[in-house]
Amino acid sequence: MIQLKNVFKEFGGRMAVENLSLQVPAGEIYGLLGHNGAGKSTAIGMMLGQVWPTGGEVQICGFEVTTRRREALGKVGAIFESPAFYDYLSGRRNLQILSTYTAPTTAARIQEVIDWVRLGNRADSKVRTYSHGMRARLALAQALLPKPELLILDEPSDGLDPEGIHEMRQTILRLHREMGLTILLSSHLLNEVEQLCTRIAVLNQGRKVFEGTLAETRQREKWVRVRVGDFGWAVQGLSQNGLIAQHRDGALIRLADGVGTDSVVSFLVGRGMAVFEIAPEEETLEGFYLTLMDQQRQDS
Amino acid sequence: MFYQYLRNELWKLFGKKRTYIGFGAFLVGQNAMLLMFHFTHWQEGVEKLLQGNGYIPTEYVSALTVALIMLIPQIVMLMPLYTALVGGDLVAKEAEDGTLRMILCRPISRFQLLSAKWAAGVIFSAILVLVLGATALGFARCWFPWKGMFVFAPGMVFNTLSASEGLKLYIYCHLFLTMNASVILGLAFMFSCFNMKPAAATILALTFLFVNLVMEGIPFFERYREWLLTHHFQVWLLVFSQPTPWERVAESLCVLFAFSLTSFLVGAAAFQARDIKS
Repeated sequence: MIQLKNVFKEFGGRMAVENLSLQVPAGEIYGLLGHNGAGKSTAIGMMLGQVWPTGGEVQICGFEVTTRRREALGKVGAIFESPAFYDYLSGRRNLQILSTYTAPTTAARIQEVIDWVRLGNRADSKVRTYSHGMRARLALAQALLPKPELLILDEPSDGLDPEGIHEMRQTILRLHREMGLTILLSSHLLNEVEQLCTRIAVLNQGRKVFEGTLAETRQREKWVRVRVGDFGWAVQGLSQNGLIAQHRDGALIRLADGVGTDSVVSFLVGRGMAVFEIAPEEETLEGFYLTLMDQQRQDS
Repeated sequence: MFYQYLRNELWKLFGKKRTYIGFGAFLVGQNAMLLMFHFTHWQEGVEKLLQGNGYIPTEYVSALTVALIMLIPQIVMLMPLYTALVGGDLVAKEAEDGTLRMILCRPISRFQLLSAKWAAGVIFSAILVLVLGATALGFARCWFPWKGMFVFAPGMVFNTLSASEGLKLYIYCHLFLTMNASVILGLAFMFSCFNMKPAAATILALTFLFVNLVMEGIPFFERYREWLLTHHFQVWLLVFSQPTPWERVAESLCVLFAFSLTSFLVGAAAFQARDIKS
């Protein structure tokens, strides 16, 4: 659905995106992660033909965006953080305006989308009277109007309250389930990405530093939670004997290659230390992301 | 498809209140000038001028004469301001508000979008000028009789016309005024296509016009006046000359058309090349 090949983007001598290659297969919910300024929005801008790449190829639905815009974006819907509308016009008029930029859309189709996003009786009110949540629904409606196959969501939960975030998350899942849409989701909310996405890419300073499934992020580094009388003393001994490679958070150890939890337990018990708990720790996306960023900082 | 894009632009343009500021200001300005003309020595001055040239003032101090007198300062001062204001908003305001990003994630080409915006701007210019002319004549008719027309612009025109001939030329001159308004709007539109705030686009367009106007008034630039835009803007008044200097009118129209086209193309090129970011 989306294919970026060795894409570069430079803004006045500053490299915003560097040698980025991405592939989003059809039917996936693909997460794009990275801190502010990592290049996520620039990458999305290039996918939507709003930002010209300095080099490389950007293909959407099999068509090069820069040269075959009409074909590439014909079946694409997009939502940006803080969606902007013509506040002095009604929600329905906004949808009428925005839909024509893709293709002529019937009034029935507009009503269908309004009903789908549950904008109901407020569709004819001026957008300036809408709450954040209603604006988010209107943004979703405009993205769904062209009957998209691909949905690009750039921080869709930005500015929403917890209830709104939950509703947006459920809607994304519903879109994926009921309409079979391919979704590219850029978000700061790691929890949201973890709950929605099947595959992620992490950007740092314009470069892709990880791409893989969510399962891979969990398996990448195996941490073990241990609860002992004196964690400091325990890790000192374990490290000296080459049983662990790393420790963190006063409770987690990463075993050295070829070492099992049984060796750790027998070492600690042999030294007279009570072991209350030892269990493999399920790595969260947040933990994975922070470790990855930490490694990047150390590498640079 | 272009018709739908144009309809969108007109919805957007005429849906916001600030578009009507110009119309409101014109109405207030016209009534203020009408009162000034009637209750100060202004009317007396015009009557003396007519009398001094052997005309009977009561025959020519008419609705048409006063409408044109009211029109001249508004065309020089208010029209550039409001057309530049709207022209400066057309692209830059959408970029500033973020709605441009919402549009440009769709398969419309940037050139098509700009063409629709520009066409909407020209329609706005025409409506503004026509409303201006119609209300000026309407208000003047409330106070003055329907008689012959006297046209006087120092150094350009001094003419008297019958009411019917005067009305015909009055309508005619508005076509040329529409051209002037479109050129000013196009100039602001061009700046608006660059990465700048709407106010900056408006100010740059007005500055360009002001510099032209100042240079035109400096004797040194007398020989270069054909290069100045404001010189060609005078063409609307020349239609009242007897005989009409068609060669000069055609020349000015060509220059204005070329200027308009150039500013559109420069704007389109800048817009095509720029990155649209939040």
